[in-house]
Amino acid sequence: MPSLPDPTLHTAALAALEVATNRALTLSPGGPQILAPFDDHVFAFHCTAPTLDCYLLPSHEGLRLTGVYDGQITTSLTGTASDFIDLAQAEDTAATLVNGGLSMEGNSAPLIELQRVLSALEVDWEAPLVDTLGDVAGHQIAQLLRQAFSWSQLAASSLVRQLGEFVHEEARLSPPRLEIEDFYRDIHELGLRVDRLESRTQRLRQRLQKLRS
Amino acid sequence: MSSKETTHFGFREVDKEQKATLVADVFHSVAGRYDLMNDLMSGGIHRIWKRFTIELSGVRKGNTVLDIAGGTGDLAARFSRLVGSTGRVVLADINESMLQVGRDKLLDQGQQGTIEYVQADAQQLPFPDNSFDCITIAFGLRNVTDINLALRSMLNALKPGGRLLVLEFSKPQNALLSKAYDSYSFHVLPIMGRIVANDSDSYQYLAESIRKHPDQNTLRDMMENAGFCQCTYHNMTGGIVALHRGLKP
Ligand SMILES: C[S@@+](CC[C@H](N)C(=O)[O-])C[C@H]1O[C@@H](n2cnc3c(N)ncnc32)[C@H](O)[C@@H]1O
Repeated sequence: MPSLPDPTLHTAALAALEVATNRALTLSPGGPQILAPFDDHVFAFHCTAPTLDCYLLPSHEGLRLTGVYDGQITTSLTGTASDFIDLAQAEDTAATLVNGGLSMEGNSAPLIELQRVLSALEVDWEAPLVDTLGDVAGHQIAQLLRQAFSWSQLAASSLVRQLGEFVHEEARLSPPRLEIEDFYRDIHELGLRVDRLESRTQRLRQRLQKLRS
Repeated sequence: MSSKETTHFGFREVDKEQKATLVADVFHSVAGRYDLMNDLMSGGIHRIWKRFTIELSGVRKGNTVLDIAGGTGDLAARFSRLVGSTGRVVLADINESMLQVGRDKLLDQGQQGTIEYVQADAQQLPFPDNSFDCITIAFGLRNVTDINLALRSMLNALKPGGRLLVLEFSKPQNALLSKAYDSYSFHVLPIMGRIVANDSDSYQYLAESIRKHPDQNTLRDMMENAGFCQCTYHNMTGGIVALHRGLKP
């Protein structure tokens, strides 16, 4: 098994997207049940540049997103980020699947159907992503998804750049030095505040005891 | 001089027999506030670490899963949804209080029926050989007195081809991160423990036990020596935690 880069951020991002999609599913007229036809189907997306794997596991209970899966796959797509963006922006998904730059294994029909169902949802990508990834990255990815799912005509190159930046962040093995120094200062500050809080609690407790006696 | 074998309890050397009692005291004492402390201590990120553990477990419908040292049942709850009605999930812990808090919580979430609760020691699992498709132990292995014994016991309980996943604090891969983390866990944690759980000693122990736990490569070697194959690990959050995985041949 190849060693993945630190999977924390990737996992957090997928968790956030999953929450967003499932919230939209719950609010949609048909509820999560609209994914019932996809029970037991697994869709794999392998992005080669930048390297990123994502698996969609839809079921009547909702959508599950994972970065790792090693069972049977219904349909898998492999290609670069710009190939995926071409697909997302295509007027005719089926034709682009066949003629585009992506290589496909398995059956395309359920994938096309899933894309139709999901793109009809009104997903609020932004709030949960910003919650997990912070303002900048969260906002960028949300924007990227909005574009992909609203067939906007934005230049693909800019999407690739945004995705590239995200993955650059994602692939870091450890946070850069400055960030850690900030973190260290925060911790120190937190320590001092906790100390102060503690002595205040202590004083309150003593006062309470005096009152009681 | 006493000829008794000793081991570490945090930074103290204690008799081997004594460690289990001391660990039990820690978890009896924190059980009621355990979940809250977990969220506060890690800023909620333990949920992401656990989520990745579930992904790597490969658990699916119909599987039989053991979550040992399962405490308040975070992993067991998720597994029970994945294995469905044809599968089986066992939540096991050596500590009655933790198991009780876990059971109450899962019942509240409406998980009754699909999860079995067993009081068990990871070093002597009370299950027949070749019982489970997957065993997980999350933040539990460092509390076990004899890690090698526990690894062998888990190997026996797994089916051939079954997976063990060990999620545990490990060694940060970067000196500065390591320093920040030390300061956090030795200074902030025990005080937070005192305020929230009214128990700073237990959280002092947690911080110390993390430093005493074998690092990434040592634990992988231990798993191999116990008989697991294809042992690998993933560092998460810069190595503050690592997820080890091994297969039963
Ligand atoms: C830090 S808690 C982890 C709980 C849970 N797995 C989680 O990730 O939130 C550690 C647990 O290990 C249990 N434990 C300690 N020694 C054990 C042993 N020898 N066998 C089984 N469980 C043990 C404790 O009772 C405690 O519930």
